[in-house]
Amino acid sequence: MNRIAIKMLLGDRAKYLSLVFGLAFAVLLITQQGSIFLGLMLRATGILQNIAQPDLWIADPHSEYIGDIRPLDDHDLYRVRSVPGIAWASPLFATRARVDLPDGRHKTAQLLGIDRSTLIGQPPLMLEGRLEDLRQPDAVIIEESSRSKLGGVGVGDVLKLNDQRAVIVGICRAKMGFESNATMYTTYNNALQFTPVGRERMSFILAKVKEGVPIQRVQDTINGMTDLAAFTHDGMSDRTINFILKETGIGINFGLTVALGFVVGLVISAATFYQFTLENLRHFAVLKAIGATTATLIRMVILQALVVGLIGYGIGVGIAGAFSLLGRKPGAELAVYFPWELMVGALASMILTVSAGSVLSLRRVITLEPAVVFK
Amino acid sequence: MTAAQTQTGGPPAIRLRNITKSFGKGRAAVHALRGIDMDVASNQLVMLVGPSGCGKTTLVSIISGVLDADTGTAEVFGVNWPDLSGAAKTKRRGELVGFVFQQFNLIPMLSVVENVAMPLLVRGEPMDRALDRAAAELNGVGLGDRVTARPAELSGGMQQRVAIARALVGRPRLLICDEPTANLDGHTGQHVMDLIKTASRGKAGDEKTDGRCVVVVTHDARIFHYADHIEEMEDGKLKSPSKVILEEARHVPHYDREANGETNGNGGATDKTK
Repeated sequence: MNRIAIKMLLGDRAKYLSLVFGLAFAVLLITQQGSIFLGLMLRATGILQNIAQPDLWIADPHSEYIGDIRPLDDHDLYRVRSVPGIAWASPLFATRARVDLPDGRHKTAQLLGIDRSTLIGQPPLMLEGRLEDLRQPDAVIIEESSRSKLGGVGVGDVLKLNDQRAVIVGICRAKMGFESNATMYTTYNNALQFTPVGRERMSFILAKVKEGVPIQRVQDTINGMTDLAAFTHDGMSDRTINFILKETGIGINFGLTVALGFVVGLVISAATFYQFTLENLRHFAVLKAIGATTATLIRMVILQALVVGLIGYGIGVGIAGAFSLLGRKPGAELAVYFPWELMVGALASMILTVSAGSVLSLRRVITLEPAVVFK
Repeated sequence: MTAAQTQTGGPPAIRLRNITKSFGKGRAAVHALRGIDMDVASNQLVMLVGPSGCGKTTLVSIISGVLDADTGTAEVFGVNWPDLSGAAKTKRRGELVGFVFQQFNLIPMLSVVENVAMPLLVRGEPMDRALDRAAAELNGVGLGDRVTARPAELSGGMQQRVAIARALVGRPRLLICDEPTANLDGHTGQHVMDLIKTASRGKAGDEKTDGRCVVVVTHDARIFHYADHIEEMEDGKLKSPSKVILEEARHVPHYDREANGETNGNGGATDKTK
């Protein structure tokens, strides 16, 4: 009877297509909106995306998210280095700087100052130039999408950064931050020159834990210092995302959009499937009259629901996946993150959707009186 | 009523005692059947006639086991429907009863041969074997060359022949036909009734269909002459004696005469879509 159930489903092209596209639309809404939401959250983690070397990010304990920087004292770097279990610790300077463009406009740039000797915190991938050239005076490396933002500059060009001369020595590839500013790398010392600050200058201390030493133990030791807090990469990432979700309204607003997409998709799909079963009720009654048990009919309805559900899911996820490729282009403005968990979530949503439609339909099938065939 | 039983002397194929059925409750209740007693012998083609709303369809629904009576005994070839429930009843119905409906009730998404194979498939018969048997049955009703067609591609008469093939493919002992000629022209109706009449005799040497009986619900006086026995209903009861109708039916112009150019006042254009 499985084959018959499938034929009944596929035989009515118009209904079948409307069902499949209803479900595909629902899955597309959920996955596409979900992937943009996740993409935005990922971007909110800013520089965390590009710096993978350290085990711990040490910041002011009152820092609520990665962009909430209260500078640390130079001495803090030595204190961290003296913590048992620390392999190395490097300063990181993160700030905003103004770039004056030749046409009179200006752009805000994210300026990252990394340790001159170790270059820890370096950009993930160099496209042009050499990373080592960053040690030259006034040298900066810019992220590839920043070239156009800064008026089509290239290696060798000179920028006016906070009214000071900066020479582009390389182009790199790095993930964009939440604000999509131009991103620049320089050495810690150069950064201090570009952006003169007071006694407390470091934004973060990036630290590596010695092999074999539990990260948690070192983290606890640093946290025991009353004026410092150590976070793992994931810990800082979660802290940032939680802040964005709770404090900025993005969570509730975007969450509502995703929820609305989910509900609309669910209602459309469940109602379409219910309607499909309803229109086939007479055929089910005939089958019941000629000997098909209720269990057989239930199996048929569930099979039909699963088939349209999985096909709709495949199409929806496929389109959303193709859409997400746009966001994977280097320097793409579109913030899209499409992890496997999102696909599993969409699958669960699809199962919920077709289950809802099936439950409604099955109630009619179970209570169906075969005597209706005579009406 | 045991007229049919006395004609053959054997046990009745259908035995109804004190069947009542109401729909709705209280003042709004409609008493569709009010104490029906009826016996139908094997190898009989019985017609249920009467005005609309007299309870014919309710009665055949109870005889065929698709509807439960409020009271009484409804036995079909020794199976008392009220004794069975749920899946057991459905399974037994699938083995015992074949249906021919006024609206054909073919599944439009399936091919003709798949429609006919359906009673075998619901019993769990393998698809290939079921389709082979269905094709043979279609051959028997003259549609062996249309097995892959969809119902919508066939004329009304052809669709009813498909429905007959579907009703017979499982070799049921009881064939229930609800207004089988109502949507057909005279010539096609005659062809359909010929098939039903032939089916009422069962297949020679086939134990399963031996003693098959057919119950036809109809308003169509032109087919009364096919009946071995006619039961007339009125207000949820059987009228007696019914032989009068059968006698009267002999004087009603029927399909044979229609085919010879005699008028019967009931239309009768041939099925041009066939």
